[in-house]
Amino acid sequence: MIVRVRDLVKRYGDILALDHLSFSIEEGEIFGLLGPNGSGKTTAINCILSLLKYDKGEIEIFGQPMRPDAYDIKRNIGIVMQNVAVYNELTVYQNIDYFCGLYVKDKNTRKKLVDEAVEFTGLGEYIRFYPKKLSGGLLRRLNIACGIAHKPKLIILDEPTVAVDPQSRNRILEGILELNRHGATIIYTSHYMDEVERICSRIMIIDRGREIATGTSDELKAMISLGEKITVESYSITEAQISAIRELHGITSVEYKDNKLIIKSEKGTNNLETVLDFIRKENIHFGRIYSEMPTLNDVFLEITGKELRD
Amino acid sequence: MFIHVFAYRMKILLHHRETIFWTMFFPLILATFFNMALSNLGSTEKFSPIDIAVVDNEQYRQNANLRLTLAEVSEGDDRLFNLSVVSAEEADKMLKNNKIDGYIVAERPIKLVVNKSGLNQSIIKSFADNYMHTVSATENILARDPSKIQNHISSIEDRVNYIRDVSSSGAEPNTVLAYFYSLLAMACLYGGFIGVREISDIQADISPVAARVNIAPVHKLKTFLYSSMASVTIHIAEMMILLAYLIFVLKVDFGTKTALVLLTTVIGSIAGFSFGSFISAVTKKSEGFKVAVLLSITMACCFLAGMMSQDVKYIILKNAPALLYVNPANLLTDAFFSLYYYDTYTKFLTNITILTGFIVVFCTVTYLIIRRRKYASI
Repeated sequence: MIVRVRDLVKRYGDILALDHLSFSIEEGEIFGLLGPNGSGKTTAINCILSLLKYDKGEIEIFGQPMRPDAYDIKRNIGIVMQNVAVYNELTVYQNIDYFCGLYVKDKNTRKKLVDEAVEFTGLGEYIRFYPKKLSGGLLRRLNIACGIAHKPKLIILDEPTVAVDPQSRNRILEGILELNRHGATIIYTSHYMDEVERICSRIMIIDRGREIATGTSDELKAMISLGEKITVESYSITEAQISAIRELHGITSVEYKDNKLIIKSEKGTNNLETVLDFIRKENIHFGRIYSEMPTLNDVFLEITGKELRD
Repeated sequence: MFIHVFAYRMKILLHHRETIFWTMFFPLILATFFNMALSNLGSTEKFSPIDIAVVDNEQYRQNANLRLTLAEVSEGDDRLFNLSVVSAEEADKMLKNNKIDGYIVAERPIKLVVNKSGLNQSIIKSFADNYMHTVSATENILARDPSKIQNHISSIEDRVNYIRDVSSSGAEPNTVLAYFYSLLAMACLYGGFIGVREISDIQADISPVAARVNIAPVHKLKTFLYSSMASVTIHIAEMMILLAYLIFVLKVDFGTKTALVLLTTVIGSIAGFSFGSFISAVTKKSEGFKVAVLLSITMACCFLAGMMSQDVKYIILKNAPALLYVNPANLLTDAFFSLYYYDTYTKFLTNITILTGFIVVFCTVTYLIIRRRKYASI
């Protein structure tokens, strides 16, 4: 067990930021903490890192209780903060070297590690640049390099792709998978469900500091009653036709809004062919028609009654 | 670890243009402006000979004593008068045209003609009165007891000024120094800017960089100590540059006790740094707000220490003297003053002891605040 969090409670005055949160992370996992902004992801991370006081609960890392002076534990943790945490007065190389130097004393070893971090994050061309000269994506990569240069066993990435262009985002996500392949256990927080779904081996969805559900992406989707979702773009559907679709076998709900007909099916049923037959028979004109399987947003919506991106 | 943190901290601070401007370039620029503005202040205190005239009439030509006396006080570099011997009409004309401050008519008694009152006119009158008293006393002695005339003449010749303007250390009195000393005190307190930054970079609830440092496997206070040593080293170096500029370029006189002047500057620099750290630690706001608070307090201290006007200092001395002892800028200014003016060290040691006390208080409070390792909120 790499991380074990039990019954964690954190209050900010009257606000309950973490409500008896418990989870554990096995070695080699990419554990995703998914939730909307303000759901308690960063608070949980700061508690795990012993930066924040908490009101109740226990936190163990590598089987040992986590404390501010647990230097042996800290030595094996890498953190990539939500806010870019680098010195504007140091170059890219100097920033990585400085933070790596807080973990690794030997100068030669450090040089090797810094060079590897530079190569890993693709910052080779920018090592003499000051952070202010870097784009948002490069800055995020520098932030990652500063957090992982010392080759930690546990890497915590707190929303590392916020305000990042798609190219840099892809590179960051690929990098995380590679770090994991090299043996690092990862905690990844995000409110982007596609990212979490793409890289995380296990996901915990949290809202208002509480655990909503935990499992693999498929396990989470299996928890809800919703199955396939069919969307038909059309300008000319009557109320009678909508009612008729609602009567088809395996359909749970039909909604017509903004010229889009959204048909939701029961879990395990496939209604695309049935819907297409109906449209042909009724001679309904349509633009596009497509079918989607449930997403993590649907999971969140069904459990909490609100969108994940609220 | 010490060398790693120390060396990088030096790089970080030396590249922080804003801090370097306020802690080094701003005092240098201000010192240059002070020098330009105050360089003539000393010369205005030098005495300039007063332009007078004496009417060249028959009585004047016959009054050998008056001629001799006027000739004596109108000779040499330290002369009292620039004397013109002219006709009565010419003297009137010169007075009307402000070419002279007054003229003397050798009548009995001596007549002094001026067209306005002022310092120069008072000096001419004082001279005329003094001359008349001496002549009158001499005539009385000659009339009543001529045997005592020799004693009287001796007393006139031996006139001594019993008050002399000297400092106890032998240094030349110089009113301009006060401004430069308070400027140096201000520069020392500007070390507070570095102190503010130092705290911001170690408090995880203030900056993300500090949070990263707090997560690293190093003792937070050790990191702070190493980092602070780099900060203080830089600020002391800046103060030495300023001091060298004041002494060697602007020729500001700091007296002969150079080692103690350096020591005072170093203590002042540490006081400034610890003051900034203290302000930063107790103020739970953004770094900009902390800098604003520090700047306001520092400038208020310098104002009360007489940096803008020496009168302020005297008003405080008269009405609230205790305030002078709780004002770090004033303690520093007075310490430099006492080194320049006094041979004794009582005043200097008092000020340095109080200043050291402040450093201890500032450091203790800062330590008590930053020693915590977990935060209530980030």
